[in-house]
Amino acid sequence: MGTSNKKPQFDILVDAHAAEIYRYIWRMLQNEQDVEDCLQDAFLKAYLAYDRLDELANFRAWLYRIASNTARTRLRGRLRTGILLSEELVDSGLPIEQQTQNHLRLEAVKNAVEALPHKQRESLILRKYQELSYEEISTILDTSVESARANVYQGLKKLRAQFEIADSMAAPNLAEEISEVGQ
Amino acid sequence: MMDIIEESLDTIYGTPPAGTDALNRLQNNVQQWQNAIWYDALRDSPVGPLLVAVGNHGVIAIEFGTDETGFVRELEARHGVTAFRSMDRVSEAISQILQYLSGDRKLFELDVDLRDLTDFQRKVLEAAAAVPPGYVATYGEIAAGIGKPKSSRAVGQALARNPIPIIVPCHRVVAADGSLTGYSGAGGIETKAHLLRLEGATIA
Repeated sequence: MGTSNKKPQFDILVDAHAAEIYRYIWRMLQNEQDVEDCLQDAFLKAYLAYDRLDELANFRAWLYRIASNTARTRLRGRLRTGILLSEELVDSGLPIEQQTQNHLRLEAVKNAVEALPHKQRESLILRKYQELSYEEISTILDTSVESARANVYQGLKKLRAQFEIADSMAAPNLAEEISEVGQ
Repeated sequence: MMDIIEESLDTIYGTPPAGTDALNRLQNNVQQWQNAIWYDALRDSPVGPLLVAVGNHGVIAIEFGTDETGFVRELEARHGVTAFRSMDRVSEAISQILQYLSGDRKLFELDVDLRDLTDFQRKVLEAAAAVPPGYVATYGEIAAGIGKPKSSRAVGQALARNPIPIIVPCHRVVAADGSLTGYSGAGGIETKAHLLRLEGATIA
């Protein structure tokens, strides 16, 4: 019943990949409590399934896949949360109007990202921030390599299209326009 | 040139926290899982409800009945680790038990963990496990087999406290006259007879 000798002990796998998976989940959920719950949840699922995992499997991609499914389930079950603003952003020394405008823009972009179809959103995050190859992304999201590439491209294009419109509007109303687009 | 989208995305997604606390808690949990006992309930089997527990060294307990709380409490007290309910972890043991109880399997291909028993108890259970399906041995034969010919009564007691009934076949051990004395499972002697009939043994 123990794990096969050819597979690393599960805790070795955790040491090797947990920090990276944490960052991925954080990017997906952006709410500390959700991120922590999802992390524990995903690794428990992985632990329970580890005995049955093929020893030739790509462990990293497999963990990503479980994390992706777990995060998606959690996203479905929750209301949208406000953006997590980092300290320096809040206290950037900019005039308050500028700060508000920045905040609204970020909020709008974040909402727009969350409104993307999940494969586009996840491909974008996996490629741009987790720096995975399209091949790895295709394994994790169960698509072809071409679709993984197309999803990143389409996601970015969609975001740009939304905010180009907003950008071309009069500057003083920028924040307002963007936040409408982002709804 | 960095456009407004890229810039915003970088602000939102670029710098996740280190997550040190969450990662430490995860490592602690993993340690706990690796030492844990996993159990699941089998609501309706041909011999009534069963609780089955598996540790890292194999099946560690089987109990007739539905007293999940009592089962968990005893496991945790006996082994000093946490018991979690998990279908995944126990599914192999449960499916073999079901195959056996429906007559589709003669022998179990499972590790059993008898490490917390005394030498004597373990020898008795190992001797019982050596009796093939379809056959029975007497308490005296088991006692003789482990080199303690005078201890049939103690053999009976060790079998009565078998932590892994069904898989460790204490039901294959009978009285000297062939009668089915004592079985701690639900249904008592009737269950013992059921298991022996299932295996094709001739019952006195």
